[in-house]
Amino acid sequence: MLTYLARRLAFAVTTVLAASVVSFLLVHASSGSPGAITAGAGATPAQVAAENHRLGWDQPLVTQYLTWLGHAASGNFGVSLIDGHNIWSDLMARLPVTASIAVFATLLSGVFGVLIGVAAAVRSGLADRAVTVGSGVALSLPQFWIGILLVYLIAIKAHLLPATGYVAFSASPSQYLQSLALPVITLTITGTAIIARTTRTGMISALRQEHIRTLHALGTPPWRIRYVHALRFAAAPVVSVLGIQFIALFGGSVVIEQLFALPGLGQAAQNAIGTNDFPAVQGVVVIATVVVVITNLVLDLVLAAIDPRVRTA
Amino acid sequence: MNALVPAPSVPVLSAPALSVRDLTVRYGRAGKTLPAVDGVSFDVAPGETLGLVGESGSGKSTIGKAILGLQPPNTGRILLHGTDITRASLRQRRVTAIDLRVVFQDPYSSLNPAQTIGQTLTEPLQVLRVPKDRRRPRILESLAAVGLPADAADRYPARFSGGQRQRIAIARALVCDPQVIVLDEPVSALDLSTQAQVLNLLADLRDSRQLALLFIAHDLGVVRFLAQRVVVLYRGQVMEAGGAEEVTQRPRHPYSIALTAAAPVPQPAEQARRRAAREALGVGPAGATPPAAAGCPFATRCPLATDVCHRERPPLVAGVACHHADQVAGLRLPTRAA
Amino acid sequence: MRVPRALRTVGGVLSAAWLVFLLLASVTASWWLPYQVDAQDPAHTLAGPSASHWLGTDDLGRDVLSRIAAGSWISVGPALLAVVVAFGIGIPLALLAAEHGRWVEHGFSRFAELLLALPSIVILLAFVGAVGVHPWAIMTVLGVLLSAPVYRIFLGQAQSLRTQLYVDAARVNGVSSLRVNLRHVLPAMATTIAVQAAQLFAISVLIEAGLAFMGFGPSVPSPSWGGLIAAASQHVYDDPWLMVPTGVVLALTVIAANGLADAVAGGREREAATPRHRKPRTSVRAATGGTHATEGMLLDVRDLTVAVGGPDGPALVTGVSFALPPGTVLGLVGESGCGKTMTARALPGLLPEGVEVTGGSVWFAGRDSADRDSAGRDSAGRDLAGLPDKELQAIRGREIAVISQEPMVALDPMFSVGYQLTQPIRRFRGVGRAEARRIAAELLGQVGIVDAGRMLRSYPHQLSGGMAQRVCIALALTGSPKLLIADEPTTALDVTVQAEILSLLRALVRTTGLSVIIVSHDPGVVADLCDEVAVMYAGQVVESGTVAEVLGQPAHPYTAALLAANPHVAEGLPVPERLPSIPGTVPAPPDWPAGCRFASRCSLATAECAAPVPATPAHGAAKVHGAANHGTGTVRCVHPLSSPAELPVPHPVERGVPS
Repeated sequence: MLTYLARRLAFAVTTVLAASVVSFLLVHASSGSPGAITAGAGATPAQVAAENHRLGWDQPLVTQYLTWLGHAASGNFGVSLIDGHNIWSDLMARLPVTASIAVFATLLSGVFGVLIGVAAAVRSGLADRAVTVGSGVALSLPQFWIGILLVYLIAIKAHLLPATGYVAFSASPSQYLQSLALPVITLTITGTAIIARTTRTGMISALRQEHIRTLHALGTPPWRIRYVHALRFAAAPVVSVLGIQFIALFGGSVVIEQLFALPGLGQAAQNAIGTNDFPAVQGVVVIATVVVVITNLVLDLVLAAIDPRVRTA
Repeated sequence: MNALVPAPSVPVLSAPALSVRDLTVRYGRAGKTLPAVDGVSFDVAPGETLGLVGESGSGKSTIGKAILGLQPPNTGRILLHGTDITRASLRQRRVTAIDLRVVFQDPYSSLNPAQTIGQTLTEPLQVLRVPKDRRRPRILESLAAVGLPADAADRYPARFSGGQRQRIAIARALVCDPQVIVLDEPVSALDLSTQAQVLNLLADLRDSRQLALLFIAHDLGVVRFLAQRVVVLYRGQVMEAGGAEEVTQRPRHPYSIALTAAAPVPQPAEQARRRAAREALGVGPAGATPPAAAGCPFATRCPLATDVCHRERPPLVAGVACHHADQVAGLRLPTRAA
Repeated sequence: MRVPRALRTVGGVLSAAWLVFLLLASVTASWWLPYQVDAQDPAHTLAGPSASHWLGTDDLGRDVLSRIAAGSWISVGPALLAVVVAFGIGIPLALLAAEHGRWVEHGFSRFAELLLALPSIVILLAFVGAVGVHPWAIMTVLGVLLSAPVYRIFLGQAQSLRTQLYVDAARVNGVSSLRVNLRHVLPAMATTIAVQAAQLFAISVLIEAGLAFMGFGPSVPSPSWGGLIAAASQHVYDDPWLMVPTGVVLALTVIAANGLADAVAGGREREAATPRHRKPRTSVRAATGGTHATEGMLLDVRDLTVAVGGPDGPALVTGVSFALPPGTVLGLVGESGCGKTMTARALPGLLPEGVEVTGGSVWFAGRDSADRDSAGRDSAGRDLAGLPDKELQAIRGREIAVISQEPMVALDPMFSVGYQLTQPIRRFRGVGRAEARRIAAELLGQVGIVDAGRMLRSYPHQLSGGMAQRVCIALALTGSPKLLIADEPTTALDVTVQAEILSLLRALVRTTGLSVIIVSHDPGVVADLCDEVAVMYAGQVVESGTVAEVLGQPAHPYTAALLAANPHVAEGLPVPERLPSIPGTVPAPPDWPAGCRFASRCSLATAECAAPVPATPAHGAAKVHGAANHGTGTVRCVHPLSSPAELPVPHPVERGVPS
């Protein structure tokens, strides 16, 4: 078990490094250069070159990368080329925003999705078909479109919730929740549909297993068969999908944050890329990858806790 | 180094068709796992049927896979008509192992459900680049040899029963006119009456075509019917080897005795007697303790086991691998008065 | 011409129709567009639907319908490219990894995990930042990123397919690895490919639209749908309608793609064996027997009929009768398809979905047998065939227990052995956890497991077949049942392990007075364990009696032929040249004749065998009432054998016609 964890940890570190290399290369592949930004519009080529030299842009790629790596390892992601803000502290301030949305949306999707999925699997018939069709539609709807519709209906027409903006939890808990409500609802619609489907498929498959027949032959009450044994068996794929959901929400939050004007990591990514703010791009990619990697590690632990076959392998 | 298996009951006219020497196959790393096949040697003469008998974990299927090139051996040699094919890749075997074919156990998974029988039978001919006009006649020939009509070639496997599918699998092995066929538990998945039909067919082919057959099975009764010689395996090692009649009726190794004693016969009074005798043997239960890394693999269960059995691996002498072969006669099940 | 899976459901047809329509419309757009894409009409800006503009106009008076149509190819085409790229990379790599295993698979899989861990949207944006907005290039990069999940899914499939023996057979026959992949592995993956392709297409369309919404899509004058929605979102206050048409078209396209995937994945899921609650069935009284179990019998089965889908459906078992005194072992022996498993499973009401008891009765004495009715006679017991599922549930485990063929999968892999034993013990005996554990250890000792403590802590996947079956037997004993139904309990075990399990069952019968019904295809097993035996063929009991009678002096030609086909010749007898075999194959239920079902294969058949054959007393039994047998022999044959000399002669290789 320990060697398994150690291997996963090593792999996690490799992944983060690989991601940083990829974004580093992409950043250097673009046509712009940091010097052009810091020197300002209308600067002469000589001034741009001088700025690039000051920033170390003309050094060999490997050296530049290793320099960056050395700084990053100690938590120094440098400063923004655009407005000089400290990248690390900016990203750390934005992390709770994206994390809040992702956590709430995943949690709610999980709860609703599992309830609906189990009900569909157990009941079958009309309820089951309704869930299958309904979830198929729900997960096909473009999230940004749903978001706008919700903003229109709930925020503009009904004035129930704020359309945009974010209030930190520390400032006002109730406003924090209100500001998150619409984005989370938008994401939960898709998320619930996906989880419901996975749960339903997993439960149906679980109920067909031979050991369920054994329990049935022992006269085990049906509720126990379903909610203790079948659900446990179906849990592994559901947990996996929940993990994937969480990761997707993190990565895909870009669109939602733009729509709802939330100052999260997605906005940081968009701004940084749009303005060619190279160090900021690096920082965002690394943070995002670290979140993914940690989520996967936690996922592995949870799966090992659920499934004895993984544990004792 | 194990001594060679004694001369077969069928006179050897030439070199063995198939020869396995000191074969060792290991899954996983040395030191961590015991080998699946541990120093096994035997020969199959042309026209002879050799039965390879063992239970799960005996390594018999692994030996089959190694011979066929599906599982690379760690040490040892495999010779087909004298040619070394031990490490020949499947590609090389197209030339060196043309004469070697296979029939597998599961009739429901050994035929591609998306291909007609004709397509399945044509494929080996395509590999051999048999001219197109000769293919259909050969397919029909082999179908006839297994007792299936010509129109079977245009149908899909789903239309056939388990026994018929096994016959198709045999036809596929025959279509290239092989000299050696490895049969990996070909009748284990069949009902008794179907099994009898397929066994009869195999006996016909054995007699009419002078094929060398390596018959892998777990059922001693089936092996006794079809094979001239038998090799008994336990945990990857040869326990006993000899004529089929001798090994199945007068076994000389404690494990072979346990194996023959365990197979039930459909006569209640006789079975009751056999059961009593079997329980009196005192053989330990399977799966109770894991096998030791050194010494005789059967030592942990054997009623005759002593210190030397746990330390040293018994050599194969006169067809029996046992330190106490002389005491075995006292163990044997009492036979019915003739 | 078989209808393709996708078109077999309403959803599939509608989805396919929409996608085809969309494709045609977008390709032919320039011919039928009512307006130029950028034709502005300042007089009618932000208008709702009208006769001249079916879907309204935007902020510059441009026709919405035309703009949606013009933008459709660029919204959908690159997504298709992403799918093609993802599959073009993922599938060949998966096939290679499955074939070569070890280092190749390890390397590819780690690389795929790496790709999967990258935040894809961010990478895409970074790519846009680097090279600018080029939808086709961007979606190619997405395709590369998506090749990782494609690889993972198809690696699993390919590995599983390669365990099929026909792949091994092809390899042994020297078929090149390319051909093996193309002809044997890939075709079997076709359905999964179709499903995944549709789903991936759906995801790609959404991602592309999302990027365009953020401003990273093709620009004016012919924006993609995402861009149109972005522009529309600017006017959500003054013209909320503008958002709707494009969004609906986008949503419909994605719904159709997922709908197509669902249709192809199709009915496989619907064969769920979800145990449903059975409606109570009125008991069908046997035409022959009385209204209660024969005295002294634990189990009395009369004229049992089991059919698929109701009394009018095809029958699997007809007219089966046997009785079981307490403390005896009955063997149900026959070949596959004879109905022995269905018969055994019908008794405690454990038939599979769709199969039910449609006739006869199953009288079970059970615990109530100690009661006496008003006249002081033993209570009749109950007819299990007529009981609703809830009442049967109370009997299962407590009075009738079942062990089945594959002990390894019969236990729940998620829970320890101890948990799986203590739960039913607590339920049946009403004891606490500690006491239940003690009883569990005792039961494990009873089934011959030496280290009970360690076993209680173990998990099913750590056990060998023999150990697992012992645990299953212990599990069956938790309710102290009177009847154990053993459905081929040793078929999947080695012969030496089988011998141990049979000895164990014998010991249990002796010490606890348990009655056992054992289903087997092996007459040797029956000879070892059973007191009585019923031989089944094509859904009927063709012969029954004590094991000595039936196996020693078979009266039915089928029984005799079956025994003769057995290669386990008794000791001392020479091996036959050929085994006497029965020509032909067992008839399937739809082909059962009205008369003797074995007649078509029987060498003794005559014209009289075409009429229905009742079960008659045999083996020197005294006359009995009706056809119910009480442990004395019966045979269902017009010409029962009176001596072994009438055994059928060996048959040559049969020129059978495939059924």
